[in-house]
Amino acid sequence: MATVREKGYSHWDGRLVERRLPWWPITRTGIQLSFRKKRFKVLFSGAFIPAFVFLVGLYISERLEDFKAFIQGSDRLLNIGPKYFSTYFTNDGLLFLIVLVLAYGAGGLIADDLKHNSLQLYFSRPLGKKDYLVGKMSVIAFFVLVFSAVPGLVLIVFKLVFAGSFKFFLQYPWLPLSVIGFSALLTVFLAFYVLLMSSLSKNSRYVFILIFGTYIFSNVLFGILQSIFKTPYMALFSVPANLQQAGAFVFGQKLPHAVPAVWSFAVLAAICGLSAVMLNRKIRSVEVIK
Amino acid sequence: MTAVIAASNLSKWYGNVLGLNDVSLEVEEGITGLLGPNGAGKSTFMKLITGQMKPNDGNVTVRGQKVWNNPGVFQGIGFCPEQDIFYEDVTGWEFLTGLLRFYGYARSEIRERAARALDIVDLTDDKDRLIRGYSRGMRQRIKFAQAIAHDAGILILDEPLSGLDPLGKRKLIKLIKDFKHQGRTILVSSHVLPEIEALTSRVVLIHQGKILAQGDIPFIRELIEAHPHQISVRSSDPRALAARFVGDGSIQKMTFAADGRTLVVETHKRDEFFGRLTGVVLEAGIAVDEISSPDDNLQAVFEYLVGE
Repeated sequence: MATVREKGYSHWDGRLVERRLPWWPITRTGIQLSFRKKRFKVLFSGAFIPAFVFLVGLYISERLEDFKAFIQGSDRLLNIGPKYFSTYFTNDGLLFLIVLVLAYGAGGLIADDLKHNSLQLYFSRPLGKKDYLVGKMSVIAFFVLVFSAVPGLVLIVFKLVFAGSFKFFLQYPWLPLSVIGFSALLTVFLAFYVLLMSSLSKNSRYVFILIFGTYIFSNVLFGILQSIFKTPYMALFSVPANLQQAGAFVFGQKLPHAVPAVWSFAVLAAICGLSAVMLNRKIRSVEVIK
Repeated sequence: MTAVIAASNLSKWYGNVLGLNDVSLEVEEGITGLLGPNGAGKSTFMKLITGQMKPNDGNVTVRGQKVWNNPGVFQGIGFCPEQDIFYEDVTGWEFLTGLLRFYGYARSEIRERAARALDIVDLTDDKDRLIRGYSRGMRQRIKFAQAIAHDAGILILDEPLSGLDPLGKRKLIKLIKDFKHQGRTILVSSHVLPEIEALTSRVVLIHQGKILAQGDIPFIRELIEAHPHQISVRSSDPRALAARFVGDGSIQKMTFAADGRTLVVETHKRDEFFGRLTGVVLEAGIAVDEISSPDDNLQAVFEYLVGE
């Protein structure tokens, strides 16, 4: 008679692979969950429009004669140099779209974990708080870099391809570093900013409003205060204005507001610092007392 | 036997609320039941030993290693929390494989482990359904699956049987007992004595953040025997039933519940009462719809132990 075997649990005899990137599963899940939202896919695709427009600009700049009839006096704008790249990185449209993508796609990064009590699942595994936060920040880094560093470097490559020479690169050898530098700054700031907002509520819709509302409201506040006090220093109240100041500085361009760039860097750093403190407090433990 | 989990003078406050008060406890290999009413501090204790909260005072070690801020120690711990912990828009399969990635297994190993864990909890057929559509019992089972999927030597199970149907409970109890025979350490919490009794004879009684008593089930039973059991019998004719028990020495008190169909009996001699009840029901032909004995009067034991 055949032996009846009970279904039971068998011990694993395999070899455990060393964990090199403990934060990677968090990042992977975060990106995957963002793309599950249908509207997000549309928004994500739409956020490439500025890059496409600037790419077309690059192409036209190399063939001004062919497009003379269309551009009529706009050729000044198509003078490709650091200013062109600075304009790409600091234009209101791109920053707006990046913030919109983050608010919609990454707003729930911590909020959803709080809502679903998932922190206790993560922290009862070989995962530290630092790994958790790095994982979440990497999701934001992915979305920011895909609209900043990646198109920025691609634009440089296309400029060389369209021009058919390395003259542009030899003229501005530091430009790729500026692209990477400002993208990194944008990534770090937005990572702290978005995660701070995400940790303030369990409802990702409220987080969306917080991220987007704070961004817009800070700019409105800047406009109101400037009209009252007539001083450019009010730009320091605006998140986009500070990013634009920092961007112009990194690309060696004239600052859009008559305020030393160091002040804008200080404001951005202060927001990051505040966020770090808040995140450390919020991602601390699971409270069982309601 | 060496303690696998050791807590010494462990205390945790939530603001002004005391979660755990000066708890010292050693958990050895095998199954240990953590028994206490809701809000006793069971979950707090479990969260402290799974490193999710930092104790305000005292310390806790697992296999001699400190727990707080030591993620490496969790390679060997499986935790099944009491509350639901899911992203509702992922499937059971995605939930398990996603969590297994934290352990650094190869992709094939992750798939194999997830499949095995799902098979053990009988969710293989539902693995591709969104968790949103899972029943309470299925949620409980997938939660259990994530605790066992990485083959942990230590299992911390917070109310694992709640929400399961009787068959599901029996299966899970058998599974937990199988784990014990594999030399694992299992700490199970519950507020229902019969559930713990079905799993282990080693029990820790916890109440109001303190450990009241520690010992085997007979010891707990003795404490319970000192207090009357409350048994509810719902029948077609509770008054006729009561008439049969008047003068019975095993009965201390009888009352009728507000529904008019339930006789509530208090007795020191539970087994004797049940023996008599069967005979009475057969003799008098009274239809009995339900007999319940919630928590086996555990609350009375707690009240006795805390001197209320």
